[in-house]
Amino acid sequence: MALKLYDKLKHAVRYWLLRTLPTCQQTVATISESMERPLPTSETIKLKLHLWICVWCQWYLEHLKLIRDTSRAQAAAAPEQMTGATLSNEARERIRRRLTNQN
Amino acid sequence: MSEAQAKSPYQSADPDRWLDDHGDYLFKYAVFRLRDNNVAEDAVQETFLAALKAYQGFEGRGSERTWLVGILKHKIIDHFRRIGREAQLGDESDDGPEHQEFFARVDEWQGHWNTDRAPTDWHATPAELMERSDFWKVFNDCLSPLPQRTVSAFTLREVEDRKSEEICEMLSIKVNNLWVMLHRARLHLRNCLEVNWFKPEQ
Repeated sequence: MALKLYDKLKHAVRYWLLRTLPTCQQTVATISESMERPLPTSETIKLKLHLWICVWCQWYLEHLKLIRDTSRAQAAAAPEQMTGATLSNEARERIRRRLTNQN
Repeated sequence: MSEAQAKSPYQSADPDRWLDDHGDYLFKYAVFRLRDNNVAEDAVQETFLAALKAYQGFEGRGSERTWLVGILKHKIIDHFRRIGREAQLGDESDDGPEHQEFFARVDEWQGHWNTDRAPTDWHATPAELMERSDFWKVFNDCLSPLPQRTVSAFTLREVEDRKSEEICEMLSIKVNNLWVMLHRARLHLRNCLEVNWFKPEQ
């Protein structure tokens, strides 16, 4: 019984917050901005509350961090270890000719 | 020690050997940041040409490769500056798509995620993703429809870890404008990766 009441109350609080706080569309812009500068306190509180009740925006923030971390880790890795394209033979020959003419 | 001796072990510029020893390395470095084979090839060529001219300046301190990468970094920044200049001259106002369709337009949940476009759990780590060369192919394909200036801002921030002020100066934009570009790029890229790489079970 008490558990049921607790669930109902939790649901009501969640619903009220979702209706009161900035929407997901506004929140994803704030999430992006939070990666650029420290947010004002009121914005931080609204963002934290939104993330507390919205798993989608939680994942959104996680994904942006993953994209950043993966990009920077790859940039820091030695190019030799990068798989993928190397200089094509055509490009190599073109550059070789250009350098020979300059020399 | 005389000036000439300081230049050893490389007595003279040897572009042929440079190309063999450092060509692929420089190309990989460039293509990861410039996201286009032709542009990266040009940057490598310009690097070697500049190196040839500046060879007197290289006095054999440090490694030859580090010296060449230093020149390449400048060529890459030059490319981003050029894109910023061109966008400014062309009065470019496109920062990228707003993707209104990701969010509900009607009813009481207006502005909240549309359930079929909402993020899902990716269960991924940087280490896993980095190992997959096809991940970077999808990543670049996802960025390619965005305006070049927006992609440049994204790369300078998320790959090169440059400060806002530096990026604004390089691209001749205001900081609010930069935030809009970064937001649009992230919104678009995140969704595109989800659809084309993480492919959630529908």
